[in-house]
Amino acid sequence: MTSSRTRRRRREASLGYLMLLPALVIFAVFIFYPFLRNFQLGFYLNPPFPNLPKRWVGFDQYRDILGSDSFISSLKTTVAFAFMTVPAGIGLGLALAVTANRRLRGIGVYRTIFSSTVATSVAVAAVIFSMLFNPIVGLLPWLGISPTPPIIENPNLALAAVALVTVWQTLGLTFILLSAGLQAIPEDLYEAAQVDGAGPNTRFWRITIPMLSPTLFFAVVIGSIHAFQSFGQIDIITSGGPFKRTNVLTYSIYGELNGTNGPPNPGKAAVLAIALFAITLGLTAVQMRVLERRVHYAR
Amino acid sequence: MRADSKSGRRLRTFGSYAILTVLAFIVLFPIYITVVNSLLRPVDIASRPPVFFPLHPKWSSYVDAWNGGHMSKYLVNSFIVTIAITVGQVVTAILAGYAFAFLEFPFKRSLFVVFLATLMVPFEVTVVTNLDTVRTLGWFNTYQGLAVPFLATGFGAFLVRQAFLQVPRDLSDAAALDGYGHWRFMTRVAVPIARPAVAALTVFGFLGAWNQFLWPLLATKDDKLRTVQIGLKTLRQTSLNDVNVTFAGAVIAVIPIAILLLAFQKHLVRGLTAGAVKG
Amino acid sequence: MSSSRFVRLVALAGVVVFALGACSGSSGSGGKASDGASSGSGGSNLCPVSALAKASGPVTITFWHGLNRANEETLQKLVDQFNGQQTKVKVNLVNQTGYEEILRKWVAGLGTNELPDLAQMEDTATQQMIDTQSIVPVADCIKADHYDTSDFVGRVLERYNVDGKLYPMPFNVSNPVLYYDKNAYRAAGLDPEKPPTTLAEVKTDAAKIKALGYQTGFGLKLNPWYLEQWASKADHLFVDHENGRKGRATKVLFDDEAGQATFAWMKDMVDSGLARTNPDSGPNAFDNLLGIRSKVQGMTIDSSASLGTVSQVLASGEGGGVELGVGPMPGPTGAGGVLVGGGALYMSKTSTPEKIAATWEFVKFLVSAQTQATFAAGTGYVPIRKSSVNEKVLADLYASTPGYKVAYDQLLSGKDDVATAGPVIGNYAGVRDVVRDAETKMLAENGDPKAAIKAAAIAATAAIQDYNTRIGK
Repeated sequence: MTSSRTRRRRREASLGYLMLLPALVIFAVFIFYPFLRNFQLGFYLNPPFPNLPKRWVGFDQYRDILGSDSFISSLKTTVAFAFMTVPAGIGLGLALAVTANRRLRGIGVYRTIFSSTVATSVAVAAVIFSMLFNPIVGLLPWLGISPTPPIIENPNLALAAVALVTVWQTLGLTFILLSAGLQAIPEDLYEAAQVDGAGPNTRFWRITIPMLSPTLFFAVVIGSIHAFQSFGQIDIITSGGPFKRTNVLTYSIYGELNGTNGPPNPGKAAVLAIALFAITLGLTAVQMRVLERRVHYAR
Repeated sequence: MRADSKSGRRLRTFGSYAILTVLAFIVLFPIYITVVNSLLRPVDIASRPPVFFPLHPKWSSYVDAWNGGHMSKYLVNSFIVTIAITVGQVVTAILAGYAFAFLEFPFKRSLFVVFLATLMVPFEVTVVTNLDTVRTLGWFNTYQGLAVPFLATGFGAFLVRQAFLQVPRDLSDAAALDGYGHWRFMTRVAVPIARPAVAALTVFGFLGAWNQFLWPLLATKDDKLRTVQIGLKTLRQTSLNDVNVTFAGAVIAVIPIAILLLAFQKHLVRGLTAGAVKG
Repeated sequence: MSSSRFVRLVALAGVVVFALGACSGSSGSGGKASDGASSGSGGSNLCPVSALAKASGPVTITFWHGLNRANEETLQKLVDQFNGQQTKVKVNLVNQTGYEEILRKWVAGLGTNELPDLAQMEDTATQQMIDTQSIVPVADCIKADHYDTSDFVGRVLERYNVDGKLYPMPFNVSNPVLYYDKNAYRAAGLDPEKPPTTLAEVKTDAAKIKALGYQTGFGLKLNPWYLEQWASKADHLFVDHENGRKGRATKVLFDDEAGQATFAWMKDMVDSGLARTNPDSGPNAFDNLLGIRSKVQGMTIDSSASLGTVSQVLASGEGGGVELGVGPMPGPTGAGGVLVGGGALYMSKTSTPEKIAATWEFVKFLVSAQTQATFAAGTGYVPIRKSSVNEKVLADLYASTPGYKVAYDQLLSGKDDVATAGPVIGNYAGVRDVVRDAETKMLAENGDPKAAIKAAAIAATAAIQDYNTRIGK
């Protein structure tokens, strides 16, 4: 009796492990192992070519890289980029979602248009906008937006230009997300407020925003993490330039790995990757704590 | 009084349409001008004032992008890799989700935490070694090199597990009584009930795989394996003298995914909101 | 999620992974040891030229190239011709979309031995390719095959000669030339047959063109290559140890009066609105020629390699009232001359003897006087052999379109010495990156030219030394 139950339990357990196995193998080989190997790589000074010997330098490399001006400026760029994209993206997405959240004939068409940028990829958006920014064939210079140096080569504008592309490209996604959140707010809440004589402003700040706060919270977290991992648009539009002004962390990892500014340096790339991980982790934790509290307050 | 409020409402409706139309115009404009520019000669694209409607559309740019620009090949590659990744993600997610939802085994909670921990490691953090791994396996510049690292996600397993947990206990008990094995129960009962979640995961996984940029850039070396996103970058780097071809390439890259999204809009919304609802 | 739970989660993940990692192991265990014989030491000859005769069937070789689409067509025709005219060697041409990409992929291939038999790389790759210890110096083939190079343009061979040894075979040579709109010159009352030759003349001409209502006079591509070119024209060294040709370069020397003068000139041109800049590399690296065609500017300096593409466009009737003129690269006056730019061909040491011999056969075909003439005529590149200009296809072109000959002529003018042979630098890309950034920064942020070039020199030397440390030198 007990032995048959044990056997069944054992069989169930092995079935469970078997079902987890494919995913675990992928995770082990392509997530956890490379994650941990970063730490090891960071201890070695890597030769530019894989057929030459590498040299143990211990924590020196960590110290040199994480303390270098180029790392600090890359970090600042990344943070600035997040501040440019996340609030603007969510603000615009919310504006579109609120505008489209009414019962009108043909509103479906507008909703489809507002979500249309989901069909574009980062690469598509980057290619389109980089052409529009181009001083020779682009439209923006014709509209009188023609700074010297041109937008993409302009140290003060390049990052903002990449941010604009990012906001546009993610607009569809943000719109869909926030629209779904809006539609989940019960109609009678608004009706009750209207009876109480609340104007549209009051209704927005007292009902919409608080009721939407879990969705907004989610959008902020996801948006920030995405901002810190932005790569394609930088690669296509600026390649980290002009003079490294758009060299966000992810791009600097790529640069070291790919040998964009000299022979590849996997050791340096690994140290930068660890920094990116630490920042993403810290960011998530901070946002979880701060925003979660505020969300609860609002309720 | 009544007439007043009626005309007021009408005015407000008109205003709503006006605002909506202006916003729609702004959102769509980059796409519109891309289509226009793809049909112009480069010299006309550079002309001032710009041409906003192609009176003499030049379709040859699409032929150039399709053949000379290798967009046809890039599209095929993207579809192969994306479908492989999507199928892989769905299958591994169903298996893992099932184990977490219906089976009992030691270290189950810890293993679930391991699955969630994968969400904390951005892919960018792992590229250094993954590139080495793929090279060592001989997978550099191959379809498996592009697809295998993404065949499982913690998010997918989580999503499907949550859906499986909604399956009424009575059903699984009844299935056990009827002598259903786990395999039959999973395919006949659990998965059909969790279909919305699976569909959402499919659309979400597809979109994510299709839009990948960093990895295909690193892990391929030639046109034979390049995906659409990387192909576009290559097209973009051609001379300004071929700028219309670049625009045509962008349009070609958008079309298939636009069609798919129009067809599966609902599932995309569900996939996106799945995370938000759980908080 | 509380933070303590979060930490626990990550810690747990770590433990599991260590266990799993132990099983998956091995895939990251460093690089393979290099196979002893250093190709630089001159001892044994690495080029078995007679091995092809012993091969039983046709030998297939892979050739990576980085030419653009227009020039690729010409190369493909030549490859087809070679494949058709003999049966022993079959060449498989692979487009790698650019020189940088080829170097990157060669380096990546070192770990896995996935190297092509032949690869075309930029002139800047020489030192790195030597350092990879993965190439057959063509000097070995030349010696083993008693191949005669006396017909080659001297400066072209010197470009790729390090410590007395020719490493790659030069193939496609280009150098910067001045492109200008003759119609704009006429309208401005300038002689369309007398383009500027000095930087000061560029400025006066640019002012007259701008006065016609052009947005700007001169399209200034921020190409660090030009700084090297201008140093060479002034007959100055760019790096130490005889431009890196007698021992490894350890520091840059460009922060001298010639370098300072060119930085100051660039700043002056931009400040006075007579030049507009565009980047030379990365995603916004477009040639300035569309700018001339659309009358944004009247002239620019760009590689002679663009000439083939430009001519095709102009021939298609999209010239828009522009008559394109080509002149020698303006620059500082001095005894030097322009540097050799473009690409050269590297043979892989890891190929089988038959493949190395087959590759050498193909290389000889590519640098024959006839092939070079056809290639030059089709692309606008400069032939590397003096007798090529007597071949009908090229002689006809030079007679009908003298613009094509400018780059060739300027390669023969001036002194041939270590200064005009150009620098050999391990971290060439790093040095160029620093120079490019310094120029861009100076112009964008109104910096002082002297301070800018000084900072560039310090950073460039650091980049060189960083590379040298990593290589263990």
